[in-house]
Amino acid sequence: MKYLSACCLLAALCGCTTVQPWERGLLAKPEMQWQPDTMEGVLQNQIHASKEASSGGSGAAGGGCGCN
Amino acid sequence: MSARNGNGERHTTLLALTSSAMLLPAYQGAQADAPPEYTELGLRYSKYKEDDIPGRKSFGSGSERYDIDVAQFHLLAPVADSWSVALDVAWEDMSGASPWFVGESADGDPRVIMSGASIEDTRTEVSVNTRYYYDRGNAGLSYTNSDEDDYQSDAVSLDGAFNSADGMRTYAAAISASWDDIEPTQGAVPTNTLQDDKDIRSAWIGVSQIVSKRAIVRFGLSYTYRDGFLTDPYKNRDSRPDERKEWTASAGYRHFFQQQDAALHVDYRYFDDDWDVVSHTLDLSWHQNVNDQLQLIPFLRYYSQDEAEFFDVVADTSQRYYADDYRLSAFGAFTYGLRLRRELGNWSLNLAGERYKSDESWGLYSGDEAPGLVDYWRYSLGVDYVFR
Repeated sequence: MKYLSACCLLAALCGCTTVQPWERGLLAKPEMQWQPDTMEGVLQNQIHASKEASSGGSGAAGGGCGCN
Repeated sequence: MSARNGNGERHTTLLALTSSAMLLPAYQGAQADAPPEYTELGLRYSKYKEDDIPGRKSFGSGSERYDIDVAQFHLLAPVADSWSVALDVAWEDMSGASPWFVGESADGDPRVIMSGASIEDTRTEVSVNTRYYYDRGNAGLSYTNSDEDDYQSDAVSLDGAFNSADGMRTYAAAISASWDDIEPTQGAVPTNTLQDDKDIRSAWIGVSQIVSKRAIVRFGLSYTYRDGFLTDPYKNRDSRPDERKEWTASAGYRHFFQQQDAALHVDYRYFDDDWDVVSHTLDLSWHQNVNDQLQLIPFLRYYSQDEAEFFDVVADTSQRYYADDYRLSAFGAFTYGLRLRRELGNWSLNLAGERYKSDESWGLYSGDEAPGLVDYWRYSLGVDYVFR
């Protein structure tokens, strides 16, 4: 199963047809960004990290606070 | 969010700031590796309110929990041809009570003893980021300071992204370090330390790939090392190891549906650490363009974690490490809500509301239910302005 997943992942990464820069209009839309709303993302991450035992995963971890 | 009751958790404000900048359109188009065209300004007010803890789960007739007001300011500006700077400031004002420890009632049921008198605290966080854009990527440097009565943190991070020659793939990496000082406020109850510190070191790598004209995918791995006083200084029955090593593996997917004029966001994170905490997080959101000015975004998040190895509903203080903190218990949680964005020329109005509910029986892992599990509401209102 692991090998199948790895193969699927490699196929997904390597088997893509080249999308030319002028064909990337939809990909460049604001709603297609990884985090379209910076302030909303900051706040949600902070709340979840202060109420759950795990955090991070979308970048290097940041500094702390006395959040409880 | 901030509380007089500091805990052992590190938080992700810098993470979110750096990742949001670091992972932006570098993947998605030639124009992405250039500074923003215009200066952007944002203001946001949020209200966070936890449900009262009911009498059947606490000693006494129940108690109010945290109530927090948050104000955020965001500025992003182009500088010269190849640079941008960002400034983020957050102010938080909180009051309420938090679980102090868990005891047993006369009939043997675990009940929470709350911290008693209302806690009052404020927190100010300032983040600055500068970013350089080059032909095939960008690199950023960030500094964040967080200051409150009993807790101070300084953090720096460095990140970079590099595109493949055809622009179809982007490799990204980030490293960070923070230095935190804890000095618990001395009140009616004793604290677990008078003064202490903790450090954090973290690294992250990621790759994203354009899959089609309408879809993009990314994968990431991170490692975080925490060292120092990780015990919650205010909890009565809490003693944690001085080290914590964490790993995450994550995946994200974005797909634009032209017929519906909407984008689907799917994100998953697997988390594991040497405290035996394992968690799974799945985020789904649908970004629906109603017309040129209005966007509606319903979202759903599912989270499940296993308990830490030293967690017990009623802490066993004869052990070397122990804790009854509900955040270290096994549980599942759902977050659901709706965001609205309305464009008005150079202005945009942002509204958001969400509900978070947690329960031991909703988790993927079995464990005894911690009576302190939290539910909350959060509302946000804000405006953005672009200096076109």
